[in-house]
Amino acid sequence: MKETGASPPPRRAKLELLVRHDTAEGFDVREIGSATAFVRSRPQRVPVESWELAEMTSRMAGQPSYILKNTATDRFLLLTEPEKFLWHQMDGQTSLQEIATAYVLRYGAFDFDIIPALMRKLQRAQLLTLTPTSRLRQALARNRRRPVIKAIETGLTALERINVSSRNVHRVFAAAYRWGGFVLFTPAGVIACLLLVVAGLVAGVQLWREGGDIVAGFGGHALQGLITVKLLFFLTLAAHQIVHGLALIHYGRRVREFGFTFLHGFVPTFYVDVTDIFMTSRRARVITAVSGASVHLVLGSAWFLVAQFAPLGSFTQAFAAASGIIQWQAFVIALYPFCFIEMDGYHVLVDLLGMPTLKQEAMSWAGGLVRRGASWRMGRQEAMFAFYVVVSTISVAAFVALNVMLIVHARS
Amino acid sequence: MPSPVETVAFLQEVRLFKDIAEPELTALAGTLRERSLKRGQVLFREGEAGEEMFIVLRGSIVISKPVTGRVEQVLARIGPGDFFGEMSLFDRSPRSATIQSDSDATLLVLDSQALRRLTELSPRAAAAFFHALVQVFIERLRASGDLVAEVTRWGLEATGLDLDGR
Repeated sequence: MKETGASPPPRRAKLELLVRHDTAEGFDVREIGSATAFVRSRPQRVPVESWELAEMTSRMAGQPSYILKNTATDRFLLLTEPEKFLWHQMDGQTSLQEIATAYVLRYGAFDFDIIPALMRKLQRAQLLTLTPTSRLRQALARNRRRPVIKAIETGLTALERINVSSRNVHRVFAAAYRWGGFVLFTPAGVIACLLLVVAGLVAGVQLWREGGDIVAGFGGHALQGLITVKLLFFLTLAAHQIVHGLALIHYGRRVREFGFTFLHGFVPTFYVDVTDIFMTSRRARVITAVSGASVHLVLGSAWFLVAQFAPLGSFTQAFAAASGIIQWQAFVIALYPFCFIEMDGYHVLVDLLGMPTLKQEAMSWAGGLVRRGASWRMGRQEAMFAFYVVVSTISVAAFVALNVMLIVHARS
Repeated sequence: MPSPVETVAFLQEVRLFKDIAEPELTALAGTLRERSLKRGQVLFREGEAGEEMFIVLRGSIVISKPVTGRVEQVLARIGPGDFFGEMSLFDRSPRSATIQSDSDATLLVLDSQALRRLTELSPRAAAAFFHALVQVFIERLRASGDLVAEVTRWGLEATGLDLDGR
C-alpha cells in the first residue's frame, strides 16, 4: 500500500445554532463552520486617532516598507507594501473574502498565508477589532424598539434566510459545457452571436421609428404588460450567471457555487461563484465578466427580430420589443461601471485600473469632501475618485429619468 | 398510543431500563404518561420549574441554551430511546436548558412519584436504574467538556486569534 506521508488537514470546528422564528413557535438549526465565519468576518482597525503610518526610507532598492504605530500602546509593526494595502482594507465594512478578492485584483496573485498572518500580527499589537455584522444591521439593531425598524429588520432577516444554492454544481456546468456550451466560446459561436446582434440592431432601429404603434400593441394594459416583461426578464438573469459559469469551465477553473438569494436582504438575484477565475489571466477575467452580460445583448437582439416579424401593433410585437429594450438595458447596466453597483463592468474597470476598491475609496473621499469642504488640490487618484462619483451620480439620475419617461410614455 | 406490551418492549431497549426485570418494568410502564409535541413546539424553557424526566419514544428533540436574542446554542439532538430532564427530577431546580421538537414527537413522562413507587416496589430495579443513570451522567459530563473545547476552538478559528505566537 502506498503511503503519502501527508497528514490530513485539521478538522474545522462547527457550531450548531438554533435561531427562533419571530412569531410562531418554530426555529431553524444552522451549522456554522468556523471557516465560514472567518471569511465573513469584517476585521476593523482601531480608530484613526489610535495609529500612525509612516513610510520607511531605505537606501536599498526594492519594495518600500512602512512603520505602523499603535499610539495608545506605543507598539510598532513593520509592514510590507501588500500588508499596508490589506491594512487599509480593514475598515470594518469589508469582509475577509472581499479583502482577498481585492488583493488578487491588485497584485494578480494570492498568498493564502498573508491575511491570517497579518491579522495575527495586528491583533498582538492591539490594532484590530472584529465586527461581525454590517453597519445597516447594527443601526437596525440599535433602533429595534421602533416598530417600523423592527419590521424592516424582521423582513431583511426573513429574506436573507432564502438561499437556494448548491456547491456541487461544477460537474453540471462541465457537462453543460461539453454538451454544447463550448460553442459560445468558439469563433463560430462568437460570429453567430455578432451577426444576431447586428440583425437585432437593424430591427431595433426600424422598430424605434414605429415606437408609438408598437406600444399600442399592449392595448389598455401597458403597465401590466411591462411588469410581465420585467418578470420574464428576471428569469434570464439565471442565464447570465450560467454563462459566467460556462466561461469558468472554458478557462479550466472550478464553479464553486450556483444559487438564488436576496442580496443585502432585498435584491432578488441568481449568482454563481466565479472567484476561481482570479487564478487565471486578466484576459480570462474580462471575458468571463463580459460573456455573462452578453447574454442580454443576444437575447435582446432575438426579441427585436421577433418584434420586427410580428404583426404591426400586435401584443406579440409590443411584448417582444419591450423585452428587447429591457435586455439591452440590462446589457448596458451590467457592463457600465459608473452606477455605484459592483457589476461586471465595474469589475473589469477596477481590474484594468488596478484599483480594486475604487467605489469604497471614492465614496470615502467624497464623504470627506462633504464633511471637511472641497480641496482643489487633486492628484491622479483623487481625480479618478471625483470622476467616478460625478459620472455615477449623473448616470443613476439619467437611468431613473429614462425609466420614468418609459413608464409615463407607456401609460399615455 | 402504544399498548402496555409495546411500551414495555420499548423500555427494554432504553439504556436506563434495560437491566430491570420485566415484571417491574411492566409496573413502571403503567405509571408513565404520554406527551405529544408538534414539530417546532417548545416543551419547556430554561429557568422554568419542573420535576419530571422525559424519554423520547418517537421523533427528534433539540436541547439548546439561549445565547443572544433569538439565537441559542444547540447542546444536543436526541432521538428515540434517549432521555432528558432528569436533573430537575432529583433536585427540583429550574430547567437548565430549553427543549423543543425537531419533528412531531412522542415522549414518555416519568415523574418523581413513579420513581418513588419503583424504589419501594423493587430496590433492585431502582439500583439498576440509578446505576445506568450514573453511567449516562458520566458520558454527558465528558461530552460537555468536549463541547466547551469545540466551542473555544470555533471561536479561535473564526476570529483568527493566534495564542501560540508571541
